Amino acid sequence: MNDGMMMASQPQIMESLCVAVAGQGGDGSLTLVTLIARALADYGYHIYESRNVASRIKGGHAAAFLRAGVDPVPAQGHDLDLLIAFDVEAIEILGPRVVENGVIIFDSSSEPCPMGGLKTGVEIIDVPFGRYAVRELRRDLYKNSLGYAVTCAILGLKGDLVQAKMREVYGRLPANVIAANLAAMETGFQIAGDFGYRGGRSRWQPRTLSPTPKHHMTGNEALAFGFLAAGGRFFAGYPITPATDIMEWLEKYLPDLGGVVIQAEDELASINMALGAAMTGTRTMTASSGPGIALMTEGISQAGSAELPVVIVNCQRAGPSTGMPTKPEQSDIGLMTQGANGDFPHVVLCPATPGECFEAGRLATDIAEIAQIPVFVALDQVVAQDRASFTLPHMGSLTINRGKRLAGPKGPGGPEYRRYQLTDDGISPWTIPGTPEGMSLVTGNERNEWGHVDTGPENRRRMMDKRARKLETISAMLPIAVNWGDASSDIGIIGVGMERGVMRDLTSLLARQNKSAAFHSPRTLWPVLPETLEFIAGKSRVFVIEHNREGQLFRLLGGALASRSHMTNITRYDGRAFSPEDLVRRLHEEGADL
Amino acid sequence: MTLTFKPKAPIWCAGCGHFGVHTALTHALKAAHVPAHEALIIAGIGCSGSIQNNLNAYGYHALHGRVLPTATGAALANPNLLVIGAGGDGDGYAIGGGHLLHSFKRNPSLVYIVMNNGVYGLTKGQNSPTAGAALTNGEAPLDAVQLGLSVSGSTFIARGFVGWWDQLATLIGEGIQHARAHCGFAFIEAISPCVTYNDTYPEWDGKLADISRDEAYDPTDRVQAMSRVMRLSEQGKLAVGKILHTTGSTLDQRHNVSAQRAPALQDVLPANNVSTYEAIARDHLV
Repeated sequence: MNDGMMMASQPQIMESLCVAVAGQGGDGSLTLVTLIARALADYGYHIYESRNVASRIKGGHAAAFLRAGVDPVPAQGHDLDLLIAFDVEAIEILGPRVVENGVIIFDSSSEPCPMGGLKTGVEIIDVPFGRYAVRELRRDLYKNSLGYAVTCAILGLKGDLVQAKMREVYGRLPANVIAANLAAMETGFQIAGDFGYRGGRSRWQPRTLSPTPKHHMTGNEALAFGFLAAGGRFFAGYPITPATDIMEWLEKYLPDLGGVVIQAEDELASINMALGAAMTGTRTMTASSGPGIALMTEGISQAGSAELPVVIVNCQRAGPSTGMPTKPEQSDIGLMTQGANGDFPHVVLCPATPGECFEAGRLATDIAEIAQIPVFVALDQVVAQDRASFTLPHMGSLTINRGKRLAGPKGPGGPEYRRYQLTDDGISPWTIPGTPEGMSLVTGNERNEWGHVDTGPENRRRMMDKRARKLETISAMLPIAVNWGDASSDIGIIGVGMERGVMRDLTSLLARQNKSAAFHSPRTLWPVLPETLEFIAGKSRVFVIEHNREGQLFRLLGGALASRSHMTNITRYDGRAFSPEDLVRRLHEEGADL
Repeated sequence: MTLTFKPKAPIWCAGCGHFGVHTALTHALKAAHVPAHEALIIAGIGCSGSIQNNLNAYGYHALHGRVLPTATGAALANPNLLVIGAGGDGDGYAIGGGHLLHSFKRNPSLVYIVMNNGVYGLTKGQNSPTAGAALTNGEAPLDAVQLGLSVSGSTFIARGFVGWWDQLATLIGEGIQHARAHCGFAFIEAISPCVTYNDTYPEWDGKLADISRDEAYDPTDRVQAMSRVMRLSEQGKLAVGKILHTTGSTLDQRHNVSAQRAPALQDVLPANNVSTYEAIARDHLV
């Protein structure tokens, strides 16, 4: 054993830490990262977790990432301080991302760690995890517990806390399994000791921050919670990566609240089940990804025409068609803003963090009912599935707004009730089936105020204009962009969803070089808000960062402007996130004076 | 008394079978004492998809083929409503065929009436899935009754003929009872000829076999039902009457939904749910 030959003499105070655990799918990389994240959260660190998996149940390169920081963590980031690699492929793919003097813990059960492509000073800790796990513990899966202990020793985490987190995460497993994993941990600490990490010697030293209770959720989970907290009680969906988590999360919580989660036979059924439930006045949502949203578009158009409230979540993945199911993209912007047949008022929100996802789920549910329109929430796989710490709003502070829903026991009252009554704000009072004297005909056909089909040109214009007015009515409710950086800079940088975090990191990177730009991250994708057009008009150069090839956001914004000659589109569509370094390079390539 | 929409006169051709369905349904609703405001008619696309405009009830005009998922969503969200889906055979067996299969399987408590005329009338005469082999160069027509019998979750399957409107009204009435008692999916196919594009009135008299005249026929016996229906089919005949009437697990039961406890009935004011929401938030603390 090398007994700490390469160890730095003094542990490094942990301000931030990037860890990756990688191996084959089913290796348990996600669990190991969760354990480390929980332990660091206990010290008060903000945490951010993400994953890169293949579209298969087991096997294929799979990696889980963790970034911890003293301040809120905006994105996964690129560089790694510590890599736990269960096979050679993991070293080949992620080894080059380990920083100088970083650490690699490698499972050398089959072969030693390959050294090619690694930066200087990287410490390799070769541990035959698999062999230990099988020989000592008779279960290959226990290698995660071994790895957890070795990692915690290197990170300088307290032993009792490390053990408590293991018990917490494995809490629902049978006692003998927990005991075996705890035994595996002891072996792990011994292994770490063999490498010199014993007696309080470690590579990092965690700071003890004031730990405030923090919630830790993916965008999908937070969005589902926002919907539920806004009174959402019906969800219909069909399994699809990366949206399925929403259905699974709601299945856990909605039934206890008298709600229903139904798995439909396809997305045509999901959206129409949602519309049927919406007819009854139930707050309703469905969720899918690009291919499923494509199937739903007729139903979304129906909601727009029939004036039914429904929330549609699109967890965008790389297309076209089946594309790359587990990889992120923002290539359904056109589909969501302009995709359905006919024109009708609708809204597309685009939250970028779990906190914003909660708010978007809540707000979308309110806006849908107030304006009686379909409301999209546009996520991408990164926003949908990355998990970050944040603080949920106080549950006692939440409110809902049911708009012009008439819920009187006897009915709407007054001499007459017209479901599609023409109003100044475009929104008609709404009674639901079961209400005496509130009888209505609801239809996707053009109709008159009573709901009877009417294709006369005058009626058509009046009804189209009425529906269009609804967007103006709710415009003040639409979330505005997040702006930061140097507002006076000539250079403007725009991005939504997954680009937000990397734009934040870019800000820090530029600051270290005494440079800056103005950053603008919209939270409403449709309608395009005037603030974004003003932002663009106020800059001499504007860069639109997005994940698709055709520049769908660029076109959307450009199309809303008189001139876009000073706008440049920076796109990416390889299914991988930008790093700030990538962005700097691309900005320079496009002639940005940054 | 608040004035709401006035039911319209049907748009159908004189002699259209759908008049018979309209009459039978009106009669059945009245006989079952369903208050008008508690009935929700969800209609499909096509000539039959305008029936909701002609009835005194809440009406919804669904997308083509999507009557059943829409009706399922409505019935599950508020089981106090009597949800009646109505549409044509193109709507229900072609573009919406997948949903029919899964509705038999799920057994939601609602009524579904299919007006079967073997033709797409509104688009002027194309063959539908039930068009006879003579029209389709020998392609055998689809029999939704056989399909329903083959799905073990199905609980109520009937077929009527608009020429025998009183029997049709009785069948619809029994279907309404089945759904209102939360016993599941009441499927009723009404043979309803299109006098303009596929006038089959003359054919049906000889081809329809009324099984309810056979006192030994037991609609709770699925095997007997299937065997009888298939045997008649081999003889070039269609079984009419109450073909299957049994019990089984319903969608509403499985979702713990009842007239007292359903999504549409929940108090969703956040102030009245704070402790539950706080407990959920606590589940996500690190």
